[in-house]
Amino acid sequence: MDIININSIKKTFGDYTAVDGVSFDVAQGTIFGLLGPNGAGKTTTIRMITNIIIPDEGKITIDGMKNGYDTQSLIGYLPEERGLYKKLKVIEQLKYFAQLKGVNAKDAEHTAMEWLVKLGAGGWENKKIQELSKGMQQKVQFIATILHDPKILILDEPFSGFDPINTEMLKSIILDMKSRGKTIILSTHVMSQVEQLCDDIVIINKGKIIVDGKVSEIKARYGEDTVIIEFDGDSSVIDEIADIKITDRSNHRIEFRLGANSPKASEILKDLVNKIDIIRFEKVQPSLHEIFITEVAKQKLGIKEATNEN
Amino acid sequence: MKTKSKIGTIIKHEYLSKIKSKGFIIGTILAPVGIIVIYGIIILVAVMSADQTTKKLAIVDYTERIGAMLVERDTSKFFLTDLTEAELNEKVLTGEIDGYLVMPADFAEKGAATVYTSGGGGLGFVTLIERNTKDIIVNLRLDEIGADESVKELVNRGISLSTMKVTQEGTQDDYSQVFAIMGYVMGFVIYGLMFTYGAFVMRGVIEEKANRIVEVLASSVKPFEIMMGKVIGIGAVGLTQVLFWIVLMGIFVSFGGSIAAGFMGTPDMATAGAEMQDQNAMIEMLNNISISPWLIVAFLFYFLAGYFIYSTLFAAVGSAVDQESDAAQLQIPVTLPIIIPIMFIANVMSNPDGTLAVVLSLIPFFTPILMIARIAATSVPIWQIALSVVLLAATFFACLYFAAKIYRIGILMYGKKPTFKDMVKWFKLAK
Repeated sequence: MDIININSIKKTFGDYTAVDGVSFDVAQGTIFGLLGPNGAGKTTTIRMITNIIIPDEGKITIDGMKNGYDTQSLIGYLPEERGLYKKLKVIEQLKYFAQLKGVNAKDAEHTAMEWLVKLGAGGWENKKIQELSKGMQQKVQFIATILHDPKILILDEPFSGFDPINTEMLKSIILDMKSRGKTIILSTHVMSQVEQLCDDIVIINKGKIIVDGKVSEIKARYGEDTVIIEFDGDSSVIDEIADIKITDRSNHRIEFRLGANSPKASEILKDLVNKIDIIRFEKVQPSLHEIFITEVAKQKLGIKEATNEN
Repeated sequence: MKTKSKIGTIIKHEYLSKIKSKGFIIGTILAPVGIIVIYGIIILVAVMSADQTTKKLAIVDYTERIGAMLVERDTSKFFLTDLTEAELNEKVLTGEIDGYLVMPADFAEKGAATVYTSGGGGLGFVTLIERNTKDIIVNLRLDEIGADESVKELVNRGISLSTMKVTQEGTQDDYSQVFAIMGYVMGFVIYGLMFTYGAFVMRGVIEEKANRIVEVLASSVKPFEIMMGKVIGIGAVGLTQVLFWIVLMGIFVSFGGSIAAGFMGTPDMATAGAEMQDQNAMIEMLNNISISPWLIVAFLFYFLAGYFIYSTLFAAVGSAVDQESDAAQLQIPVTLPIIIPIMFIANVMSNPDGTLAVVLSLIPFFTPILMIARIAATSVPIWQIALSVVLLAATFFACLYFAAKIYRIGILMYGKKPTFKDMVKWFKLAK
């Protein structure tokens, strides 16, 4: 069942079209990746879902209702730029935000204390925000997002500012939320996190969707067109292989994608064995990171390619 | 599920977080304390300068009666002596006494006496003796010519001009000068309050925008409610502060006046100096002028009306900028109409019923300052007050409509410093 339906929404600011006919559905109980380069229109899309701004065209349905001020309380939104009152105490802050989402002050305080303890922030409740480190503030902001127990969580770069330990903790909380039937929209630039967490993704660029679907299907679409080689020796021989695109290169490791006219992987291996000392040779699906770069670059070249084909 | 308005939550948050802040508490208490302290110092200085000294004056009395009368007036300063003038000179030189007064036998008739001092003492000392002896001698002379009590009373009453105001209800005491001062004070207080609280609203909006809090707020509440919640919450803080001051002033006027009067009116000082009599007159006047409840209501109304008009505009300015330093230029059109009436207040008060005063005080942006000043100073016709209320209400709704649109777009706009042109664009953008 879809909890969010987005139907060809469009938003312009003066001459600038931020979102141009975006449509996608988010299934309940899944983690959905909303991806795209900076300035692609992600934040504008999120702001329309959270009803901070209203689309010029198109329709958004949330949990069966047309989105509006009534659907705002169904959503918990963690914006990319954190927003907390510097001089307010942690507990006051959390209570205030929860009350604005319709939770009564007493329940809000109780739940907030529970979450503070759960996130290893017990005893902070009477500290002012400005006394906290960035990571601590991040935790407070996250708690503020979930205090009203929303059905939908929209997390924009939730891991930024977290050390690896806190990142792992937050990941497990997100997965736990998912197992409790919550729907999570995750927007991030860290593609490895998307691969670990997301069921479905869309990649937006210049206000339009360029990739859309299940992570596994998208990767399958590209097939195993990527070769990873770990080696000892002079890597210049690899540069001689026809029609490959090297995507990652370091001293003893090279990752490249095969083109339409490149030799088969097995032939490349045969050829290389005699020239360099191969430690590992693997044929895999491209990483989401690679897909992201390819797709965004493809759109950039879109006009050029079209003219070439003619 | 209809979510109920959260404006109450926002108002409460704005109100409590401001009212609990140290700055507010200190400001609220210190302002009147400061005024009282200054007032107290003025009174104290007046008392001290009149009371000049603990100086003691010996009296060599050849009239055999006036000296005793003088001692009776102030036993702490005057005492009779039988010592010779040479002995007294000795005592003056050693500092045992500050001086002595020789009253010749014909003092009552001629009115001439001599004070011998070590040279200090000053004018106040001489005036003190003069004033005290003069009353006695005048009474004595009147007695001698057999004047009766009513004549004596008449002479002692002295001169005091009091102005009376002719109204339809008959003549009343006219304290027009005091009322004019009150008008000035009220106008300036409203000016200060509109500026201070307008700036609070603007700073609050900028803080929420700069710290990106507004994005979280806007994902929970309508932008209009965020803005209005802030405006009302901070307005309530202002009202609290003003009410606190009014109550304090009420206490001070009803008790403070008599305390000060009592303080200055102790017997030994009752006649201690001309300035003291002025002070007494002033206090008497203050006691007689009860600030009418109607004037207080009018003051509160014009304060709130002015605050609501300007704070919405300040909110719009705040929403447009990323940081406070960028607001300087944009807020000029908002601050200018607050300052203009202050430039005209002297003209208005010199003739509060004149055409200039009437016209200026009916311009809604000037009304809060100029109308209250006029109301305090003169009797403003009801139709003018009614008209000002209507105009203020209309202006408020127009400003609110304009500000809410700018605010809705402005809070989400970051980056370049906006111009007035941008703001007009936003205004059109917001449907």
